[in-house]
Amino acid sequence: MKYLNRNMWRIGALGATFVLASAGATLAQEKAVTIGLTSDPSHLYPLAGEELSSNIMYYHLYDALVSRSPELEFGPGLAESWENVDDVTWRFKLREGVTFHNGNAFTAADVVYTVEKARASIRPDLVANVASVKAVDDLTVEITTPKPYAVLPNDLAELLILDEEYTDQTGDEKMDLMPMGTGPYMLEEWIKEEKLVLTAFGDYWGGAPAIQTVTFRPITNPATRTAALLTGEVDVIQDLAVRDVDRVKSEDRFQVITRPSLLNVVLAMDTREKSPTIEGKNPMTDQRVREAIARAIDMDAINKIVMNGLATPSAQFVPEAHLGFVDGMDFREMYPVDIEKAKELLADAGYPDGFTMTLDATNNRYVNDAQIAQALASMLAKINVNLELNIMPKSNFWGYIRVPTENSSLIMSGWDVPSGDAGSMYGALFYSRDKKEGYGQVNRGSYSNAEMDALLDKADSTPDIAKRDEYLQEATKILMADIPMIPMHYEQDVYAARKGVTLVPRVDKFISAFEMDVD
Amino acid sequence: MFGYLLKRLIQMLLVLWVVSVVVFMMMSFTGDPVFMVVPIDATDAEIAQARRILGLDQSLIVQYWKFLTSLLQGDFGHSYVFRQPAMTLILERLPATVEMVLVAMVLAIVFAIPLGVYAGANPNGRLSRAIMSASLLGISLPGFWVGMVLIYLFAVNWGIFPSSGRGDTAEVFGFRISLVTWDGWHHIVLPAVTLSLGTMAILLRMTRAGMMEVGRQDYMKFARAKGATRRDVLYKHGLKNALIPVVTIFGLQLGDLIAFATITETIFSWPGMGKLLIDSIYRADRPVIVVYLMLVAVIFVVINFLVDLVYTLIDPRITLK
Repeated sequence: MKYLNRNMWRIGALGATFVLASAGATLAQEKAVTIGLTSDPSHLYPLAGEELSSNIMYYHLYDALVSRSPELEFGPGLAESWENVDDVTWRFKLREGVTFHNGNAFTAADVVYTVEKARASIRPDLVANVASVKAVDDLTVEITTPKPYAVLPNDLAELLILDEEYTDQTGDEKMDLMPMGTGPYMLEEWIKEEKLVLTAFGDYWGGAPAIQTVTFRPITNPATRTAALLTGEVDVIQDLAVRDVDRVKSEDRFQVITRPSLLNVVLAMDTREKSPTIEGKNPMTDQRVREAIARAIDMDAINKIVMNGLATPSAQFVPEAHLGFVDGMDFREMYPVDIEKAKELLADAGYPDGFTMTLDATNNRYVNDAQIAQALASMLAKINVNLELNIMPKSNFWGYIRVPTENSSLIMSGWDVPSGDAGSMYGALFYSRDKKEGYGQVNRGSYSNAEMDALLDKADSTPDIAKRDEYLQEATKILMADIPMIPMHYEQDVYAARKGVTLVPRVDKFISAFEMDVD
Repeated sequence: MFGYLLKRLIQMLLVLWVVSVVVFMMMSFTGDPVFMVVPIDATDAEIAQARRILGLDQSLIVQYWKFLTSLLQGDFGHSYVFRQPAMTLILERLPATVEMVLVAMVLAIVFAIPLGVYAGANPNGRLSRAIMSASLLGISLPGFWVGMVLIYLFAVNWGIFPSSGRGDTAEVFGFRISLVTWDGWHHIVLPAVTLSLGTMAILLRMTRAGMMEVGRQDYMKFARAKGATRRDVLYKHGLKNALIPVVTIFGLQLGDLIAFATITETIFSWPGMGKLLIDSIYRADRPVIVVYLMLVAVIFVVINFLVDLVYTLIDPRITLK
């Protein structure tokens, strides 16, 4: 009997599907797109961890109070508007009539809940600049910061709002599999490592997206990803392999879409008196030595030979249009490649015969990272700075180079600032260590400059965003002169798609189906 | 027989325990899982909080003890990355791997045994030489290369088979199986062929060597003199005696393919458990790796046991003690 019942149900469901499908067909052509990603997401719960494929899914399923455009402009999201009540208090007016996928209304209580939830989770950093949060009424939230903090809304663009009732009932662990947000898409089906299907949320406050069904397929192997595009199994792929670019371009059916990412690959130099891999006094305490190293590195050559032209040499530590970017200032123009000058600088500093140290780098984190490290070694050898390469997978790397850096003298890593603001990055990377909580936590070169600290303090205590920009620009100028770190290049994101797909590449690398269309 | 089973069981438990200790201790060298889940500019406090939530704030010995005690209660631990039970993660992906391996092994046997017998019986024939050269290719060509070539030819160029993925599945006894749908078969052909080539070549060469060995035995000549047909002599008298080493290798290969079909799975984006292992190693996801390798140990022990059983069927002189 049980068996029979189940089958009856199935037949009913089948019938219903059929009716729905034919009804849909008469209304409009269903638009669907299949996207080949480099990996399967780990989870669908925004507070469970941080990793690109998961991030992409979070932003389809959930919304934040503040939205972030493909160009990193911040605008209204679940909050329609916000204003400063005083230097440290922000009042957010929430959007009316927003519902979660389960039909629950979105209210101020959900915001309060999400902040508290984040604080106790693996991602407390999301609310690090939030001191308190309070629901004034159903559609008004007041958030205070520990000190004046002009870019709070930018931070909040990363805090995706949960449904209090549903999340509490479901529990953290199941939230990984059963997401519930207000986002433009709902989860239809997730078969791990096989496919993740999203369908458009009909009641989305931002209007229904053009594409009704999105299928994400994880295809790890780059060659297979290209093949899947060529055979038409997927419409779009992420991270087209550098060597396949010409092959895909050669066919009329396809398009290759590129854009510089936010990820700045950098070289951090130890500035302590005694550095772990250098015998005797650490030469890099001297600005002249750091400048010599900068002048010996030919970024254009690395870009051409190692990166096949698919990188953008970085002018500064943050990309253009970020708070803190100084217009017209270019690291490469300030310190053009000049081996003779570099040798002179080294001799002036008292190291005519150069020195030896170890370079720590990854081999599976950045595009062609191990090859870049090798190129650096051969370039610095020209000024007798000998690099011993210590290359490891990223799972070892982050622990190995942990602050206080007990192992490293020279580290190649990468930084991006999705908040569009140099402040948080400078505070973490260049503020004197152990001076102030929450600052200098990844200052791996132990750089310390009182002027720098003072500027960052000022920037972090003004509620005026223009003032903040000014202070951060001052800080940028100091860094460009002092060179505690060498900015190398921004990686280029490369997508490929069949013609007829409109893809808006985002600076934050998030592929978004709601900004996409197909003919 | 009962004593034999008991001995086997104790052996297996011992193997499992050793595997768990070795893997657990080794994993402390492969990186810190905390850094795989926190943002790179996380503060010390944030890292400490993540460590606490993941249960990584205790010493490795304590962690192992916790792992072992919960293991005895049937809890295999939670993945740090996926936050799901490690065993569930693996079992979810097991059917995909097993079905691909089974198809590959069937393909290997169907081609390897007859061809091997033929090549062994006619060692100098032109066809035999061709078979042997081909088998040499099968052994020496790396799987990822074969896979890429097959994708290039059969998917991209000719469009006969899909390049990747598993296709439609249907539920059979609670498992999602793709061997019951047409689309599923369509998807499994290329990866299964890729996976089978190496094993096929090895089985073929073992069969041939065995056949050549028994071909010199007197009983083969007697059988022929008795008037048995050539076919009967080869398959009933010869093959049966040549088969023992082939069965051994078959067992080892079967275990090997189930455990480490990783490369083929990666090339064809086959959602099996080999890919899970690689991802987990990259992310230092200790519980998944430990449970995975323990499961692999179980598979090997069971297969070896089955192989021993098969021995007794092929050769009545062998008994299990």
